[in-house]
Amino acid sequence: MQITIPATSTVMKSLLRADLITQWRNRRSLILILLVPVIVLISWKGIVDKMGGPFALSNCITIGLVAIGLMGYSNSVARDREKAVFQRLRVAPLPSWTIMASRLIVQLAMVLLVTIAVFVGGYYFDKITISPTGYVFSFLAALIGGALYLSLGQVIVGLIRNPETVNSTSRLVYFVFIMVGMFGELGVLGKEIGTAVHWSPYGTVKTILSASMEPATWTSTTTWALLMTILYTIVLAGIGIRKFQWNAR
Amino acid sequence: MSLQPEKRTLILLRHSMMPQNAQYNSATMIDYQDQPILEVTGLNIFYGSFQAVRDVSFAVKPGEIFGLLGPNGAGKTSTLSAIEGLLKPQSGRIMVAGFDSARNPLHVRAVLGVQLQATSFQSELTVLEILQLYAGIYGVPMSKERISGIMKDISLEGAESRRFGQLSGGQQQRVSLVIAIIHEPRLVLLDEPTTGLDPQSRRKLWERMEAMREKGHGLLLTTHSMEEAESVCDRIGIVDHGRIIAIDTPQALIEKHRDDPEVISASRRGKITLEDVFIGLTGRSIRS
Repeated sequence: MQITIPATSTVMKSLLRADLITQWRNRRSLILILLVPVIVLISWKGIVDKMGGPFALSNCITIGLVAIGLMGYSNSVARDREKAVFQRLRVAPLPSWTIMASRLIVQLAMVLLVTIAVFVGGYYFDKITISPTGYVFSFLAALIGGALYLSLGQVIVGLIRNPETVNSTSRLVYFVFIMVGMFGELGVLGKEIGTAVHWSPYGTVKTILSASMEPATWTSTTTWALLMTILYTIVLAGIGIRKFQWNAR
Repeated sequence: MSLQPEKRTLILLRHSMMPQNAQYNSATMIDYQDQPILEVTGLNIFYGSFQAVRDVSFAVKPGEIFGLLGPNGAGKTSTLSAIEGLLKPQSGRIMVAGFDSARNPLHVRAVLGVQLQATSFQSELTVLEILQLYAGIYGVPMSKERISGIMKDISLEGAESRRFGQLSGGQQQRVSLVIAIIHEPRLVLLDEPTTGLDPQSRRKLWERMEAMREKGHGLLLTTHSMEEAESVCDRIGIVDHGRIIAIDTPQALIEKHRDDPEVISASRRGKITLEDVFIGLTGRSIRS
């Protein structure tokens, strides 16, 4: 007698399909993630003229990435954990890592979608164009930055089990990140806070995104920002994975 | 049990049943026939310093419905979770269809069908999408005919495109059960399957469980319902403070304990019931 266990690739295909459908049907979250960065971009018309296209685009993409990690990923994981969706999957013959890998792949696809939306919005509303190399590097930088915010979302669901508390905490962190990040970068909150923001997860992602759009402007400071982004990601993902519980109770 | 030997033949996933483009890993399963489909030996589970399960041992045969009864916090769900692979026991051995759960967790899960207490599916997915997801995970082909057969079987014809979140509690429970057995598992684990169901749905579920037994599936369920235990279980194990304190057929348990003073004092109408035996053995105090 034989029993058969489907190959990991077959299982991943099924999981990805279900996770993509779920993401697509979560319209409110989808609209929030895609629309907010574009609205900010449109409202920044004056800033684009003053600070340049890459500054505006990189800020708006960063806002989208923060929303994916904090509003999209963490909330969906907390909600599904509460409903025992993960527990049901874990009693099926599949490796546990495939459950999270599928979710992360869908979120990274969202990162690319946000980046495209901002580029399209930037071109349509402000006629911002960058070089083909700039586009390629920007997508890579967006994926790296997206990974940082997904790991931040992972920390939140790792430390907090209640889905409502996860929701309110992620909203609060999102609001603080966006407000302090945007105004700090613009120098409105003073020099010290400006410097702190520059080396914060918001600032380092914004820095590498901005430099990726104009590869010629890449400096040693940008390299440090890239290294800091990777370091933040490793540390946060480490904490988030270590503290994560599959069961909500 | 009145199960005919030919009905106890193993029901396994065959290569001929698999989707053509899917890839699989295979393993040989020991054909146990009348041997237990589940063997739990010396199971111990701790949460920190608290011992939830103490030296629990029992077996479930193919074509048998085995019920675990116990007050809240007695260790039923912990035992079930260990069999499902959701909890790692500190000691003990769990064998499912000849596979050791510690050594071959994926093979064990491939022959297990599980229905959890919670709803367990994304509410955004439709019934059809949930069927397709789990068919993919278990490597079961899903033709249009098979899907409509399943929908008819769970009295949800035409509801393929309805989202899981839009279904009633009873409908969700039926979907959950059909997913648990979509791959024709040898052992089905049901955690309080009739909680929250109306009498009609409960009766229907009992019929489904009996049909599974007739097909040769082994069933292990936890329940608080004495009526359920008496109606459908071939044998029951009463669990208290993490230990199995009694194990037998419902009728044999009643016979064995009908003269116990605690059981007699628990009796409300003179006639000794399974509930009286349960109260007599586990005490009257309310658990957390």
